[in-house]
Amino acid sequence: MAKKTLIGLEIHVELSTDKKMFCNCKNQYGADVNTQVCPICLGLPGALPVIDKQAVEYAIRAGIAFDSKITDEIRMDRKNYFYPDLTKGYQISQSDHPLCAGGYLEIEPQSGPKKITLDRIHIEEDTGKQLHTEDGTSLLDFNRCGVPLVEIVTNPDVSSAEEAKLFLEKLRNTLKYIGISDVRMEEGSLRCDVNINVVDDEAGTKTNITEVKNLNSFRSAVKAIEYEEKRHRVLMEKGENTDKETRRWDEVVGETILMRKKYTADDYRFANEADITPIKIDREWLENIRENLPELPHAKKMRFIEEYDLSDYEAGVLTQSQELAHFFEETLVNVKDAKLLGNWMMGDVLRRLKDEDKDFEEMPISSTNLAELINLVKDGKINNNTGKKVLREMFETGNSPRAIVEEKGLIQISDEGELEKIVVEMLDNNPQSVEDFKNGKDRAVGFLVGQIMKATKGKANPQLVNKLLTEKIKER
Amino acid sequence: MITRDQVVHISSISKLKFTDEELDEFTEKFDQVIGFLEKIKEVDTENVEPTFTINEEDGIMKENGENQTLSREEVLENTVESQYGYFKIIKVVE
Amino acid sequence: MDITSLKGWEMREKLIKKEISSTEILSAHLSKIDKIEKDINAFITMDKENALKTAKRVDEKLQKGEKLGIIAGLPVGLKDNILTKNLRTTCGSRMLENFNPPYDATVVRKIVEEDGIILGKTNMDEFAMGGSTETSYFGNTRNPKDLTRVPGGSSGGSAAAVAANALPLALGTDTGGSVRQPASFCGIVGMKPTYGLVSRYGVVPMSNSLDQIGVFGRDVRDAHMMLQTVTGYDPLDATSSKRADRDISIEGIDSLKGLRIALPEQYKDLRITGDEKIQERFKETVKVFEDAGAIVEYVSLPSLQYALETYYVIMASEVTTNLSRFDGIRFGYRTENYETLDELYTNSRTEAFGEETKRRIMMGNYALSAGHQDQSYKKALRVRTLIKQDYENAFKDHDIILSLTAPMLPFKLDSIINSPVDMYKADLYTVPVNLAGLCGISIPMGDVDNLPVGLQITGPRFGDSTILKAGLGYERAVR
Ligand SMILES: [Mg+2]
Ligand SMILES: [Zn+2]
Repeated sequence: MAKKTLIGLEIHVELSTDKKMFCNCKNQYGADVNTQVCPICLGLPGALPVIDKQAVEYAIRAGIAFDSKITDEIRMDRKNYFYPDLTKGYQISQSDHPLCAGGYLEIEPQSGPKKITLDRIHIEEDTGKQLHTEDGTSLLDFNRCGVPLVEIVTNPDVSSAEEAKLFLEKLRNTLKYIGISDVRMEEGSLRCDVNINVVDDEAGTKTNITEVKNLNSFRSAVKAIEYEEKRHRVLMEKGENTDKETRRWDEVVGETILMRKKYTADDYRFANEADITPIKIDREWLENIRENLPELPHAKKMRFIEEYDLSDYEAGVLTQSQELAHFFEETLVNVKDAKLLGNWMMGDVLRRLKDEDKDFEEMPISSTNLAELINLVKDGKINNNTGKKVLREMFETGNSPRAIVEEKGLIQISDEGELEKIVVEMLDNNPQSVEDFKNGKDRAVGFLVGQIMKATKGKANPQLVNKLLTEKIKER
Repeated sequence: MITRDQVVHISSISKLKFTDEELDEFTEKFDQVIGFLEKIKEVDTENVEPTFTINEEDGIMKENGENQTLSREEVLENTVESQYGYFKIIKVVE
Repeated sequence: MDITSLKGWEMREKLIKKEISSTEILSAHLSKIDKIEKDINAFITMDKENALKTAKRVDEKLQKGEKLGIIAGLPVGLKDNILTKNLRTTCGSRMLENFNPPYDATVVRKIVEEDGIILGKTNMDEFAMGGSTETSYFGNTRNPKDLTRVPGGSSGGSAAAVAANALPLALGTDTGGSVRQPASFCGIVGMKPTYGLVSRYGVVPMSNSLDQIGVFGRDVRDAHMMLQTVTGYDPLDATSSKRADRDISIEGIDSLKGLRIALPEQYKDLRITGDEKIQERFKETVKVFEDAGAIVEYVSLPSLQYALETYYVIMASEVTTNLSRFDGIRFGYRTENYETLDELYTNSRTEAFGEETKRRIMMGNYALSAGHQDQSYKKALRVRTLIKQDYENAFKDHDIILSLTAPMLPFKLDSIINSPVDMYKADLYTVPVNLAGLCGISIPMGDVDNLPVGLQITGPRFGDSTILKAGLGYERAVR
């Protein structure tokens, strides 16, 4: 394979701090237009920025989670450009001296584990929002202006859409684990730009880098990468090259569309942000942040394998999100059988959520109720099939399993005398099936079991039914 | 020497504009000024750290500061045009 | 008795003794202003009504025997780049002709707390860029000592008002000499305190790493009183210093005896032609210090010869970014003549900024642009380090540095405004003080050709009380 696709990702993540990055306006999504704005975030002349400690702490958490090197001293810069959603004509960002340098994230594509290395993680402020109206005007809302961001920049280590997707999922998951962002792409709290080109090592040629912006879901990121990869390869095939340009993904058309050509590199004329005196990062504070960092996904997965004797796959699924892992451990306290609980969760619970296209946070069943259900099955109070029916009911009504079982009279019949009567009656009524069985037709047993279950409304203890059937047929 | 073309380029990134007549005089003065600034190139600054701040104290971070959020009327008070609580400008085409 | 000819501290003493009322002080100044303002043009906006209200309140406090603030009852002028809530703040620019700030600068809050009476907003060079107050959109200010000459700048309105007895006290801002040079030109005291001593919150920035609020008075005690009012750590300004919370005491000095004074050798080579008489005056002044027992020595500050250029690179770079927010969208002037967004930006800025402002924006963009950044902006940040170190060395063995404030006499209106480089050279002695974040004060040292000249006393960082005391000592020595 001589041709390689090189993909670098730039991800902007809004931090879920209480206040904005440089002022004390609330950091709040969805407030009334221009009501979370002050002289500082509006960029009024004379107003001065002071950096938010919580924002720095959150960004440092990300740095630690991705194994980046945290700087000794925070320095801020002004990135100069004119745009209506920018209130000062510059964005306070970081240029030469990012908060976190290097680091990596490991993904597991089909081809095996792979490290995607990071160039940097830096802190900066978000811009306002523009609304384009029908009559040719733009309306500006600055509530979002000044919300703290981290910009995470990878090296061009990503080599396919699949890898990009795995990276983004892992990234989002980790950011969520460490509690620094809502990471909701639809609300814009996680935004991703893609830089992509194709190199042919044998021929010694490469296409020019295309930047794709405005990717507002993982799905569109994947599609845009697939589209661009193909576009670059086709042009290369023809002996042509791509232009240096910025494109955007159009979800409706399913294509990337040219935004602007880049004739020269963007010149942001970075200058030191002299309103913010450089800040030494106290090592004790840093250690404190490190120690209080929640367990990261990989560490949690390893612990699940070790502690609960789960397979790599099972542990991976159950630590997909912090909520899920937490739910599992909480439920386990009452179920006390990790394998059994894992099966229920991976099979019935997660499948159902997936069918309904829901995140785990939207799970309607409490940990206590799930534990109670599994224990009812484990203790033989209801059989497995009934258990699944009850679970479905629980999903719909949110009722407790005991209430459902009692209301519908679903307690399993395990009384041998009572069941024996039913079995004998069934054999009396179906002589043909008894005959078939004796002639070696095993299917006949299945039919008989089914009939018995029907007669007991599914409440018969299946093991007991099997045992009694075998005994009674032999007697005939 | 600063040329007219350079002046035009810098004025465009500065979002400023000069008429043709203004440009000649401005270029001449601008050239003098830039020539004057060139002098620092001769200073030997090898192994000299840049000064990012003159303060000897470390910078500070805010934790519980005063909230200065303005009313929407105050936010919009100094703009020329607003609508539905937004600032209003002509459409930005991309 | 003409109240306006008293020093500020004398007015306050008489007020406390109930010899005069705050309202009387104010009306005396208002009638003075009525008489002279058409000649001087020191003010852009007056706030008579509020001033009268405040004066009444101070008088009531006095009647009730309540404790009065440091500058109780004294009219104060604010340079028009210091934001005042609901009182127009223009920065001397068409850009902010109708700007009504929704908040007060920290220093404004402090003046109110100390019972000062804010009387108006004073004229200035546009966005504080200039040394003559001729670049103001609201017309130039004239020097009260000679109406054909400039008052200096950029805080020319404040300096002229104090010199003309229109106000006892005023604030200016000093980025490269904009308080000290007009003080020198108008024959009053002007001080730029140590960077970090006075909050910059609510002061429209020109150059964030150099700007500092400065004070004007007719003598050192007045300047000190004004400084005590506005100084102090401010959590809203991340560059303000916790050391600012100490009192700046000027108690307990009477003599200049034993004061260790440095004279920078480099200034011998930096003369501007025609300044011999000023140099002569300076020598006589140094002699006053020596005669009073001070020890005077020449010191070498080799990097000083690059200070002016270093200053202009850093200042212009910071100016450029600071003035980018004026784009016609959220506040400030918006052109009527645009069809595209780019025209909205460009025409608004082109129509509302004056020539010097445009020049500095462009100088800054030149210095910051990709091809030049390393050799200009970043280089200047390094040269700044050398300048700072030179001063640190000089202050190891010396208490203060003496120099001229300005290398020239107040010049004629409209004389050098069209020669930017000559105008920049007027800042020769003052800019290094800002580059190193030091404190400096300009004190009248007599006349040359019937025009005032100023002596600059420079002190180390947080040596503010040292230079004030030296200034007081000099005032006493020549009285
Ligand atoms: Mg960014
Ligand atoms: Zn704010």
